[in-house]
Parts: sequence; C-alpha cells; structure tokens
Amino acid sequence: MFALLASTFVTVFLAELGDKTQLAIVSISGTSSRPGAVFAGSAVALVLASLVGAAAGGSLSSVIPTDALQLAASVGFLVIGTRLILSSSRPIEETDNADAADGNPNP
Amino acid sequence: MTPPPECDPAEAAELAGAARSPEQAEAEPSDPAPAPTSRAGSWGAVFLSTATTVFLAELGDKTQLAALLLSAESGRPAVVFLGASLALICSSLVGVLLGRWLSTVMEPRQLEKAAGILMVALGLWLGRQAMLHLAPLSHQPLP
Repeated sequence: MFALLASTFVTVFLAELGDKTQLAIVSISGTSSRPGAVFAGSAVALVLASLVGAAAGGSLSSVIPTDALQLAASVGFLVIGTRLILSSSRPIEETDNADAADGNPNP
Repeated sequence: MTPPPECDPAEAAELAGAARSPEQAEAEPSDPAPAPTSRAGSWGAVFLSTATTVFLAELGDKTQLAALLLSAESGRPAVVFLGASLALICSSLVGVLLGRWLSTVMEPRQLEKAAGILMVALGLWLGRQAMLHLAPLSHQPLP
C-alpha cells in the first residue's frame, strides 16, 4: 500500500511540476499579498478537479464539456494577465519607459 | 474604611471617554492592520478567483489521473487518490512558495509585468488547445 501511495505521489508530483497550473499559481501568489488564500484555493481546486475526474472515470469529456471549460479558463488567464500588465505599466512616478508596455517592434 | 474614590471612576471615564471616544470609534484595537494595498482583495475573493481559475484550467487534464486510477488494477483507487491529492497539494505549495520567493527578489512592478505576460501566454496557449479540440483544423489547401 505504501509503495502504491509513494509511486502515485511521485508520478503526479513530477507531472505537475512546471505545469501551466503551477505557473499560474506562481504568478498569482507572486503578485498577491495573500499567499494563504492562493494556496488554499489552488489546493482545493486541484483536489476537487481530480475528484471529478476520478468520479467520471475515463469518460470525463463526454460528461463535462472540458474543452469549453478550458476555453473559459483561457479567457480568465488572459483577463488576469492583461490586468497585471496594465497595473504594472500604470505610471506612478516613473513615466519614462512606458514604451515597454505595448511591445512595439524595434527595427 | 477607605471610601472608594467615587468621583474618580466617573471622572476618569468621562475624561477617558472625552479623550478617547473618537479614537475608539474610528479604530478598533482588534484590527491591527488594514489591508496594505487596495489591490490585495479580501481573503475570500483571492481564494475564489484562484480556485475557479485553477479548477477550470485543470479539469481537462484530469483525464490522465482518471486513466491512472483506472489502470491501477490494485483495487485501491482510494490510495491512488490520496497519493495524487497529496502530490497536487504539495505542487501548489511549491508554486506558492516560489511566487513568494520571486516577490522578494524581484521588483513588484517587474514581477507584475512578467507574471502578466506569462498569464497571457498561458491563456493564448490554453485557448489554442481548446479551440483545436473543439474545431480541429483540417489540412485544406489554401485557395
């Protein structure tokens, strides 16, 4: 039993390292002042998502429109990212390098 | 014997009340630090937005885990689920700690910009994957 637990842990942990979800968590927690809330939210969501996946078995995509949900998630990523970029390029005291905000191509 | 200082409490209370009522009315002593930045948001808001984003993004990937559960012919899916959950929690903890560490070594605005670019890139990639699954491109010759 312990071997099964350990092998599952290692497999899933390695598969999640550098995953898009973890990158998102790094982004959110780095720019938020509430790491506890970020950790709790991401942990609950990950466990819940795996629970849903396990309950539905292999036929998850026939039960839930996962592609549409991922499309919604991508819109959420875009909104969060755009908000972060906008708030990072909002001039407070330094307005000299505002050209970096809208990546105009240098010749 | 010694009479209690009857006028002292009243006067003291009145004085204290006069002196401290605006303070007490304005600042509760049990509220040590108001939110330092306005963009921080409440705990619940951060929790909900993080949970929603991660849940939606991760739901499609959980077919792999389902396959893992199904292929675990050991008859112990609970153990597999426990191991997977522990791994997911640990990986999110690693992500949070990495973000906190980055926020100590990078300038906040720089980090915000980098994180924003990363999120936009992830969103574009995720959206492309979903769109390709929803409407797969067939290799048609261009007109």
